[in-house]
Amino acid sequence: MTASPSPFSRRNFLGLSAAVGAAGLTAACGGGTSGPPGTEGGGGGGGEFTGEYTGPNVTLQFWNGFTGGDGPFMKKMVDEFNTAHPNIKVTMTTIRWQDYYQKVPAAVVSGQGPDVGIAHQDNLATLAARRSILPLDDIATELKLEESDFIPAVWKGGIYQDKRYGIPLDVHSLGQYWNTDQLTKAGLQAPPANKEEFDQAVSKMKSGGLQNPFWMPSLWPAHLIFYSLIWQNGGTPYSEDGQSATFNSAEGVEALTWMVDQIKNGVSPRNVAIDTQYNAFKSGRNAGTFDGIWQINDLKATAPKLKWALAPVPQIFDQPAVWSNGHNFVLMSQKKADDNKLQASKIFINEISEKSAEWAKSGMVPARNAAREDASFASQTQASVVKNVDIFRFLPSVPGIGDVGFQGIEQAVNKATLLQQEPKQALDTAAGVANKLLEENRKKFGG
Amino acid sequence: MTTFVEGTAPVTDNPPEGPRRGGRPGRAKRIVQYAVLIVLTILFLSPLIYMAVTSFKTQADAISPEPQWIPANPTTSAYDVMLGSDDTPVLRWAFNSVLAATAQALLVVATAALAAYALARMDFRGKRLIFGTIVATLFVPAVILIIPNYIIISEFAWLDSLTAVIVPGAASAFGVFFLRQFFTSLPEELEEAAYVDGAGPFRIFWSVVLPLSKPALATLALLAFLTNWNDFLWPLYVLFSAEQQTLPAGLATLQNANAVRYDLLMAGAMIAALPVLLLYLAAQRFVIEGVSRTGLKG
Amino acid sequence: MATVETLPTGQDTLQPVRREGGKRTSRYGGGWVPYLFLLPYLALFTTFVLVPIVLGIWISLHTWDFTLPRKPWAGLGNYKDLFDSSSVVGPDFIRAMKATAIFTVASVPLLVVIPLAVALLMNAKFPGRNLFRAVYFAPYVLGVAVIGVLWRYLLDNNVGLVNNYLGKIGLPDDIAWTTSTPAAWVALVGVTVWWTLGFNAVIYLAGLQDIAPELYEAAKIDGANGWQRFRNVTLPGLRPVLMFVVITTIIASANMFGQSYLITQGAPGNETRTAIYYIADTGLKNFDMGRAAAMSFVLTVCLLLLSAVVMLAFRERKPKGLAS
Repeated sequence: MTASPSPFSRRNFLGLSAAVGAAGLTAACGGGTSGPPGTEGGGGGGGEFTGEYTGPNVTLQFWNGFTGGDGPFMKKMVDEFNTAHPNIKVTMTTIRWQDYYQKVPAAVVSGQGPDVGIAHQDNLATLAARRSILPLDDIATELKLEESDFIPAVWKGGIYQDKRYGIPLDVHSLGQYWNTDQLTKAGLQAPPANKEEFDQAVSKMKSGGLQNPFWMPSLWPAHLIFYSLIWQNGGTPYSEDGQSATFNSAEGVEALTWMVDQIKNGVSPRNVAIDTQYNAFKSGRNAGTFDGIWQINDLKATAPKLKWALAPVPQIFDQPAVWSNGHNFVLMSQKKADDNKLQASKIFINEISEKSAEWAKSGMVPARNAAREDASFASQTQASVVKNVDIFRFLPSVPGIGDVGFQGIEQAVNKATLLQQEPKQALDTAAGVANKLLEENRKKFGG
Repeated sequence: MTTFVEGTAPVTDNPPEGPRRGGRPGRAKRIVQYAVLIVLTILFLSPLIYMAVTSFKTQADAISPEPQWIPANPTTSAYDVMLGSDDTPVLRWAFNSVLAATAQALLVVATAALAAYALARMDFRGKRLIFGTIVATLFVPAVILIIPNYIIISEFAWLDSLTAVIVPGAASAFGVFFLRQFFTSLPEELEEAAYVDGAGPFRIFWSVVLPLSKPALATLALLAFLTNWNDFLWPLYVLFSAEQQTLPAGLATLQNANAVRYDLLMAGAMIAALPVLLLYLAAQRFVIEGVSRTGLKG
Repeated sequence: MATVETLPTGQDTLQPVRREGGKRTSRYGGGWVPYLFLLPYLALFTTFVLVPIVLGIWISLHTWDFTLPRKPWAGLGNYKDLFDSSSVVGPDFIRAMKATAIFTVASVPLLVVIPLAVALLMNAKFPGRNLFRAVYFAPYVLGVAVIGVLWRYLLDNNVGLVNNYLGKIGLPDDIAWTTSTPAAWVALVGVTVWWTLGFNAVIYLAGLQDIAPELYEAAKIDGANGWQRFRNVTLPGLRPVLMFVVITTIIASANMFGQSYLITQGAPGNETRTAIYYIADTGLKNFDMGRAAAMSFVLTVCLLLLSAVVMLAFRERKPKGLAS
């Protein structure tokens, strides 16, 4: 009986709820009112690039993951930029990297993303495929950037589906850190450069009383060590086009076996939990460790009394090679394009990337040749790993490669170094998983 | 029937003192009892004490192979870093948590009380349906709401804001059920009297029913506060920038993949724990009694 | 969570005052007043509970990636994938469900029994009792983040307190609590018990104090010993509280996330990654929401079944003439 004239009779009420529900459904069904961002190009509008911003006051949101020792250096550059450009205010937000790649796409979809960001080279394809970032070929042209300005692999690494999505800022790779007191005690002048020297070094240290001179991690950065080794051995983790996993090749098995052997032979203890090998290095419980060059400032700050040296990772196999990655500037997709912000972003990107010599103080290797060849760089600690830029190897530009690595190789390396599986078995299983994922990603992202 | 007993009720002079023991407490039994309690206390307190102590260590001391109950080089550097860093505004996190938990508790109590009163005292079409639906969702685990609510929050552009942490969880089926139980247990005479005096429904609710319901409302508010305070998964995924984090989510971000620093971690945990602990010590009886009432569904 | 069996029957609202024309009103609010009272709650409830449930089902039937525009229909494909060991998610999902099952089976009995023992211990009045009660409830108040971070440190393989003291009493001092199973399970269960014991104990304590002392007197007079009194007076008297504790503990254990995230990060491999952790990873980190929604429904169905079983188990026994 609906004799009640009130708008809140049951039928109307249920209707109201249904309307709310339907609204929710349709909004979600349509892929959200966020529409497909990322269809806009990098905006080549506005004439000649003068490096000057003459528009109205504008605020730029700049997101990155520099939560460690590198953060303050970027902050300093941002502050300097803000001072130099009174009509542009750049606000920097740091989100630790492991959360960054989850939060950025989510924020962009919701329309709350930043304007400019930093992204790792191996994540550019994923962000691009998720339409979180915009192509910036125009910007590169406007800023007159070319391959000859950069390390070729780094420059090329910013391309996905024939469009450029990243302006390189720096390169960072794995390196080896050694306690110089321990080296001297073992009669060595420098960190080991190859397999023989490595074996010699650790055995001398062992007999000198240091039970575990080198700790092999089972989680981060163990898989980075593995990548370096398989490249050194002439193999590759993935095929050239990134479409299939090749890390379970004979070269891969040999690489992983070398890692596991260090544990089995007692050079390294078992079950090295995450970060413990690094903490042990700082406290002098081991003599050497492989870690990224990004640890340089942390070491200086938190282990000031430790005397250490940084060198390229030893060449265990035939070729010199090391896992590398790089930070790039990216432009985020927006629901509504704002030309002023675009202009301001270009200026910001250009200036900061030119200062990559300044950025080198954070421990990174500048991607720009000019900055690397600059005299001031030679005095940086990380210059020691850059003698030959050809050793830098990068993962292929394939969307979703990060997750494929996490579910595939990282699991295999973890199981093998925990002595739970033989290297070959671990790698074969992981390759199966990786290939399935790659296949699914292909379907999802369209290659 | 729920009975609300003001204050604790350890009043029996012939306490059952644990039926297992039987008979009057012999001295031996007493000693065993105290021994067990003391062991328990050590087990509960020592980790917390160690946490406090470690927050005053240097990084090196925090990872020294021999645990130090007294720091070899006591320092407040961990606190300086935690409190001074832009990446880890711990005090801001604490503030966010308090704000979110209080706001949600208020929202829960307000909406549930109004709804529960209508369901308890009023008659209207669809009442059974509405109440039935609400009760049905009591058994629906929250996990199925995570993904869809994330989408809804994103549509509302609430991501990375405290609203996302306050509003979605504020519809408490338990709250409605709990308060409805309570309201129906209230004798109606007072409400009748107010009605006879000419008071309208909202007036009766506000001036008569609510004051009588303080214990129940307080219990619900407390539970809602604690639930929101402890919420971890949801804030972890819907909050992005450092200033918006609540305490649990913010603390989690301290575990950096590249360099876990236990001294900082313990300092952060201390800053997160201290206000809550102090509040708890002050309001301990209230908190414990409030929690204990939830189990009493007479 | 409330127990349905104790819904008051009979008179729970005032009889409506019948007027001419059959319009139903009651003296505490007629016409649209009840709906006004209900509106705030129902607005929230509809938007954040009802709509999501329907939306969740809808999502689970599509290949739904949060960041991509196309969300093609998948029918029951997502559900099939979950149980297909050759699919991308099948093995991981089964592993995650297994992890949840292991944790629940291992933790629930301990979390039901030990707090009861503690509550029994505390049920007498003795000096310092409130202090002890405050102590064992304290960890719960601190929240999962503080606890997780603290125990990650204490359980650290090399520098943690636990291994150090184990070594001192002659046990192995290099147990990999956070990176190997079954040690990781022992660690996770242990930490959870330490953390939430106080909560359950407090609820038991309230329930124990609700049992009329005369019943114990009567039993003693009948010659019952301690154990018999426990079985015949305490347990039946605690039945509703027990059921409450068991159900809430099961649900809490099945939803365990924070401890795993903070202490083991799901390691080794993904062995300690519980179902809800995997759902969050899949849906909110990898944006594969279709599958994540399907997973959450499967988990929900399992939990509902489990709750039903528990409630049935508790209903069977008739209280022996005691008020429940």
